[in-house]
Amino acid sequence: MKKPLHPLTLWVSAIMLAVGVVALDNAWIAIAIVGAVALLVYLRRDGSPWQASFYLSLRIGATILAIRTIVGILIGVPIPGTVLFKLPILDLPSWMPGIRVGGSVTLERLSSSLHEGVIIATMIALFGAATSLTSPHKLLRVTPSFIYEIGITLVIATSVFPQLATSARRIRTAQKLRGIENIRIRSIAIPLLEESLSKSLQLAAAMDARGYGISRKRSRYRPQQWLMRDNYIVFGTLITVGIMVAR
Amino acid sequence: MITFSNVSLIYPQSTHTVLEDLSFQIAEGEMVLVMGETGAGKSSLLRLVNGLVPHHTGGILAGDISVDGISTRTVKPGSLAHLVGIVGQNPINGFVTDIVEEELAFSMEALNFPPDVMRKRVEEVLDLLSLSALRNRSIATLSGGEQQRVAIGAAFVLHPKVLVLDEPTSALDPIAAEEVLSVLHRLVHDLSVTVIIAEHRLERVIQFVDRIIYIQGNGESSIGPADEILKSADLVPPIVRLARALNLRETGTSVREVRRQTEDIRNQEFIPAHVRKRHKDVAIDVKRISHSYGTKPALANVSTQINQGEIVAIMGRNGAGKSTLLHSIVGLHAPDSGEITVNGQDPTLLKGALRRKSIGYVPQEPSDLLFGTSVEEECAQADRDNQLATGSTMALLNRLVPHISHHAHPNDLSEGQRLALVLSIVLSGNPDVLVLDEPTRGLDYQAKSIFGAALKEYATQFERPVLLATHDVELVAELADRVLFLAEGEIVADGSTLDVLLSSPAFAPQVAKVMSPKPWLTVADVVDALGQEK
Repeated sequence: MKKPLHPLTLWVSAIMLAVGVVALDNAWIAIAIVGAVALLVYLRRDGSPWQASFYLSLRIGATILAIRTIVGILIGVPIPGTVLFKLPILDLPSWMPGIRVGGSVTLERLSSSLHEGVIIATMIALFGAATSLTSPHKLLRVTPSFIYEIGITLVIATSVFPQLATSARRIRTAQKLRGIENIRIRSIAIPLLEESLSKSLQLAAAMDARGYGISRKRSRYRPQQWLMRDNYIVFGTLITVGIMVAR
Repeated sequence: MITFSNVSLIYPQSTHTVLEDLSFQIAEGEMVLVMGETGAGKSSLLRLVNGLVPHHTGGILAGDISVDGISTRTVKPGSLAHLVGIVGQNPINGFVTDIVEEELAFSMEALNFPPDVMRKRVEEVLDLLSLSALRNRSIATLSGGEQQRVAIGAAFVLHPKVLVLDEPTSALDPIAAEEVLSVLHRLVHDLSVTVIIAEHRLERVIQFVDRIIYIQGNGESSIGPADEILKSADLVPPIVRLARALNLRETGTSVREVRRQTEDIRNQEFIPAHVRKRHKDVAIDVKRISHSYGTKPALANVSTQINQGEIVAIMGRNGAGKSTLLHSIVGLHAPDSGEITVNGQDPTLLKGALRRKSIGYVPQEPSDLLFGTSVEEECAQADRDNQLATGSTMALLNRLVPHISHHAHPNDLSEGQRLALVLSIVLSGNPDVLVLDEPTRGLDYQAKSIFGAALKEYATQFERPVLLATHDVELVAELADRVLFLAEGEIVADGSTLDVLLSSPAFAPQVAKVMSPKPWLTVADVVDALGQEK
């Protein structure tokens, strides 16, 4: 069993790297960082349910990149340069000056849209990686105790979401197998709401029965220690980011 | 340890009392079983012990309940956490954290235990429940039996004097159930923990318990030693039915006791009963299918044929691939390789009315199929879907469970009634094949026998196959013609129910254990054989 890093280490590093990526504003280096992070996530995978969040963040990033590029091509200020192809210009009323839909698409316009998209997608991927390597639940364990109360509420709320998705899928397939093809929202929502509500009540009852909220103070089981390794990683990232910002 | 004095309970907006004037005492180190029909109020009784009822659910409580001298009236459930540990019906719904170790520590953290005590207690519990190999595992990845053990550990870590468990083995295969029950047995005998347990599958727990509280559902209840209550109860395990059928002097609760009394029967010679003829027309043809989820193989090169008119049970441990095989057969997903045909059709291509006509499927959670606001509405919907005369589905349902309220919300039905409703809806499509995924979870013996009769009728009357995945050996013994035994995604045994069940001690039904080496699985088998003799 690999000893886990301090939960804050990866989050701090992810935030610093994100700052660096924005400051440097270089799409190629951003892509390289995403590649390196993907490798790290792959190497340190442990099969926890949060693991999927990196993949999810990549998908969200890709969607944003696609939308950003399409919007960038269709709408915007023309940038002169090599013309790739021309789109018909949409006539807009005279009270909307300065906005153009369509028109010639230049290589420069395309690349600047892509570039911005990549930077945004990288930021999302970085946080996705941090979540997938240290679950928010672990992060919560190192937060100071005065926000712990809010935290545990958040944990319950967040643990409902993945469960909601799986339940919805299960109900949908069950109904498909009943031969119901045109699914109405009602036929999914009713069993789903009932199930979620009863599950949440069960969780609340379980927490109640286990003495949650009886003592004003809470103790910590095996507090995670900040080790030398964590120092190395944070300082390493800090230097990298320093170089990225200074350039 | 626990005293109930004149306890009555009624829920708001309910017309009948759940418990009426119930008084009993449970001593330290006793193991008590709560039994009764589904919906009789077993869970309510369990949750009264630590005050979750009525503090958490509402309801009017008369009389007094005290645990170790503390009345549940005066304190909240949490204040009893150090005295009463409670494990709910579905442990996965009660887990607060992701990791086994953290889950065990949760209640100690909440009660502000010093870290060194916590470390020691967690290690203790890990050893006691043989969980140490799983300590860093994510709870979501554990099997059902392991999750149940974690839940017991998490409740036990505060060293409660009372442990309350609601159907701890209902979702487990026979082997995992045995693991959980032996852990409880150890807690009772070595550490004098008082255990209160509710369970429908009496055959699993009956040998461990000292006393039984029998809730009859109409407010009446009785309490007494196990064999005394079982003598007169309606809900009895096969072993007691056997004793009744054979007119034995005593009602034994363990295989050993009844075996001693039936020695002369076993020593007689009997002509073997004639074997039912096997049908030859293939209905479901599974050819070398493999399926995997990500890198995890779930089915490996499985081939089998299900014939018309046959009732086939699929058995195996949790995670052996039973559900995956059923899902492939009903066409939920196409297998990675191999081919399945159901009456000559590819099940993944079936849609709408044709699907309802071809395959009837009852999922693991029957309520997934329900979305109406009343029983009547659900039945009417099924009539419309299948172009039947109004009231046909309702008539079918009434035959299964006569006293069902037509205006009840499906969610308010008991497990047995809900299953009957789903079964009637599925059967109203008059499907060529019937597939059920663990249908008898949470059903009492009566509901189970009604359900079994319905399936048998379907199979014999229409000469159509029934395929069901289940952990319930007694049900399989009563119902199935053939058993497929899956392990690690492969079929390891495929043969008549008799051959497969008798070949493994863990999966042998109670009657077979008593009557071994005679090839009898059910009380009916024994009675038939004895009748032939005369």
